[in-house]
Amino acid sequence: MAKSFEEYCREVFDVKKIFDKPEVFKGYSCISATQYILGPSCANYFAELGMETIKVELPRRGEPMRHTTPYNEPFLYPLSKQMPDKGTGLGFFGANHNEYFLAVDFHKPEGVEIMHRLQAKADVQAENYRPGTFDRWGIGYRQAAKINPRMVYIWMGGFGGWGPGRVRASYDILGQAQGGTFSVTGFPGPGHGHPALGLPSKHTIWLADYWGGMMGCFAGLAALWWRDNVSGTGEFIEYSQVHGATRHLESTLPIYGRHGVVRQRWGNWDSEMCVHGIVQCGKPSYPNSKIMLELEPGQILISASDDDQFAKLCQTVPNLKALAQKYAKHQARIQPAAQTEIYTAMEEWAKDKTKEEVWQIMEKADINSQPVWSNKECSQQEHFQLRDELHWLDDPYFGDVLSQGLPFHLSETPARHRWVFKPVGADNEYILQKYCGYGLDQIRELEKNDVI
Amino acid sequence: MAEIKSGDIPVLPWPAVPTPTPDEVYKGLSEAAQEYPRWLETQVHWRDVGKKPEKLNRLRVLDCSIRMNIGHWASSCFSEHGAEVIMVEPPGGDPTRKLTPFGRQEYMFKDSETGEAVGGKFLHECRNKLSITMNLESAEGRELLKKLVVDADILIENYPPGQFDAWGIGYRQLSEINPRLVYCWVGQRGQWGPLKDRPWMYDPVGQNSCGFTHGTGAPAAFGGRPTRSGFWVCDHVGGTTAAMGIMAALNYRDRVSGRGQFVESTGAAAIMRIIDYNWGWQGMDGSIRPRFGNWDLAINIYAVNPCKDGQIMVGGGHDRLWFRIWKTVGKDRPELEQHIVEDPQLKVVVDRLPYYAQVETYTTFADWFKDNTRLEAETKLQAEEVASGGVTFADEVAEFPHFKYRGHVLEINDVLYGKVLHAPAPQTAQKAPPRIKWLGRPTGYDNEEVYRRIFGFKKDELDSLKKKGVI
Repeated sequence: MAKSFEEYCREVFDVKKIFDKPEVFKGYSCISATQYILGPSCANYFAELGMETIKVELPRRGEPMRHTTPYNEPFLYPLSKQMPDKGTGLGFFGANHNEYFLAVDFHKPEGVEIMHRLQAKADVQAENYRPGTFDRWGIGYRQAAKINPRMVYIWMGGFGGWGPGRVRASYDILGQAQGGTFSVTGFPGPGHGHPALGLPSKHTIWLADYWGGMMGCFAGLAALWWRDNVSGTGEFIEYSQVHGATRHLESTLPIYGRHGVVRQRWGNWDSEMCVHGIVQCGKPSYPNSKIMLELEPGQILISASDDDQFAKLCQTVPNLKALAQKYAKHQARIQPAAQTEIYTAMEEWAKDKTKEEVWQIMEKADINSQPVWSNKECSQQEHFQLRDELHWLDDPYFGDVLSQGLPFHLSETPARHRWVFKPVGADNEYILQKYCGYGLDQIRELEKNDVI
Repeated sequence: MAEIKSGDIPVLPWPAVPTPTPDEVYKGLSEAAQEYPRWLETQVHWRDVGKKPEKLNRLRVLDCSIRMNIGHWASSCFSEHGAEVIMVEPPGGDPTRKLTPFGRQEYMFKDSETGEAVGGKFLHECRNKLSITMNLESAEGRELLKKLVVDADILIENYPPGQFDAWGIGYRQLSEINPRLVYCWVGQRGQWGPLKDRPWMYDPVGQNSCGFTHGTGAPAAFGGRPTRSGFWVCDHVGGTTAAMGIMAALNYRDRVSGRGQFVESTGAAAIMRIIDYNWGWQGMDGSIRPRFGNWDLAINIYAVNPCKDGQIMVGGGHDRLWFRIWKTVGKDRPELEQHIVEDPQLKVVVDRLPYYAQVETYTTFADWFKDNTRLEAETKLQAEEVASGGVTFADEVAEFPHFKYRGHVLEINDVLYGKVLHAPAPQTAQKAPPRIKWLGRPTGYDNEEVYRRIFGFKKDELDSLKKKGVI
């Protein structure tokens, strides 16, 4: 073993060699008849692993996320003059990488025929229309399974296709609200012994959507493995977003079921480990910034929950010295009143410090800590760039785009990003020729009749 | 507030309110409208999972991860789908077993055989898994692991970067013993690179270093500050991406190469992957995504609003829903509807996104909500097919009729732990669905069975290993 472990890892996970390596799903294809984030992200994860993923949108307007963007300000415009002079909202960003874009109106019989021809060749179909809609239109699982019994069909949506709530519409935060994740996130209400108060809070990312897509994708990957190695047959998978949210509740349901105790919120501290919480610092890191957010004082996680680490922390933070004996044991410091005392003492100490100053002190004392970073601060880290978890992508349509990379690294068959997305119907000709056997005349005819 | 002791609250058997029957659920629907949901129900109902095969029962997973949930979460994805997951714990058990809210021992769960107490968090993730003990700090323990790896498909670990490698049981060494092994390291930021994990860096390190905490919570003007998730969200999402990476590697191994590979998944990168449009936006104009509380930067209406008895979510990003929402409000408060629909600044969908427009929208909306409970508002809005639903707490989640009917919340009567309420796998499937077969295992409960089955150890050999502290 001549190489150090670090060198070895840098070599096997070298992001510059990603395109020198094979893809997991070469030659597989996936239909993404999806909109918003839940369904699109699921299909997107397959596209990252090498599946030719065909995003099917309604002609011209495309899916709603193309028109969704923060404050209605940033839109990506194609570089080419040939493309329609229309921007795409950043809501579309992050859930449609690598895909091929086909515009089809499935309400027309010619559109249904196109879908059937695609389904005959597809390995996966991801779909998130209201339950039963595709079935009614003749392009749902029951029809697709007759055309192609090997297809893995993943339906994803709010409440699922059966049961009392099946007709209810859903979005990401409805999943978060109804599944219970709001109820355990944020600062508590009065009477729980926590000095800062607040309301149940949402996760300010479309968590139930993007993570739900992952759960759908995992089930799909398992189904493909089962098909190719065991059964030879396809599968129907149903994923409900509100259901997914309950999976995050950890001990909440077991404890409620046994003891009738309803879990509440505990802000930025931890109900099960102490010290293991976010400490408010007194000083902003960028006092001269023109960005209002950067004028807020910083915050930092300090984590020293084992008894020996806590002892070390007490030596590092003078304000904790008086508490070192009293709270030497974890069982003593985990109590709500103890946590309040400990964190208050630390915040008092951090009053005249920036988060970087506290970080430096903790690093020096070999105590785990991590400042709360904005996306700007994250993107300045060499670490994430080296690992390709954040990168500038030279997109063929939109030029240089800062984009997220991949969450997992595979040494032999890494996932990869080629482009962020394309305009509506950008690949009509390629897909219709390749999968549907249509020639130029038929494609022009379909265009004329507003089918594509 | 007076302290509430366990036993003070009468605990009703679950479900306290009976689950609706199919006839109640589909009452009043035409036969045609009933056909699809009733058909679907027969295909994927949770009651029938025991009759169906499992997808991954040919796979064996060694989950060596301890102290965090990220590895346990990843192995849960496999155990739910039928893989044999063996938790390899240090003698004395994974320290995560001891975690319980505010140190409350009375909220821990005891099994009927050993009486060992385990926290709800560990129990909930200990689904369909076996537990053996193995002292990896001893050379003898590591020899045992090497033997176990011979016939394993997946190994998941989260020890400090390079620790397993230094011990001679890293990917470099184990892949020589079993080239088919898929070896996965999980952590918060990685086992290589300038910000690689220090020993035992837990979840919120990931949440803080990916921009998640910074963007969550209310704006300062509303009295808010950056807020972490109430659960270990980086562990959950990073564990899921680990499972995806492993499953992709298995697909490649068994269809193409016959070889395993080295997989790495981290909580920070997992959230960075899914943190909406943050990077694209920053790349365009240097924007830092601000906190926006329970509202949304990119969709209006799409928020959780305060109402008479809590909070309620309402979403409707396009015109069709926008006007339905205000029509609903207008039935009680015509002046509020008029105020919004006649405002020229709110005429067009995309004009409703700037800050002032959202403040206008939600303050007007709140005026209506203050006279409505969650249920009243939900009923009125759903009559107009608007997506809406109350923010619900554990008791309401457990009793939500839809969840009970579909098995989103289930009670298992475990052989060891008795009745435990839990959230099962969120996916359902027609032919080979995931399922929960048991929940929880005392530390080393399966030592005898696993060591005897896989190594052929006799009773006295096991006893001597135990005495030496190897298992």
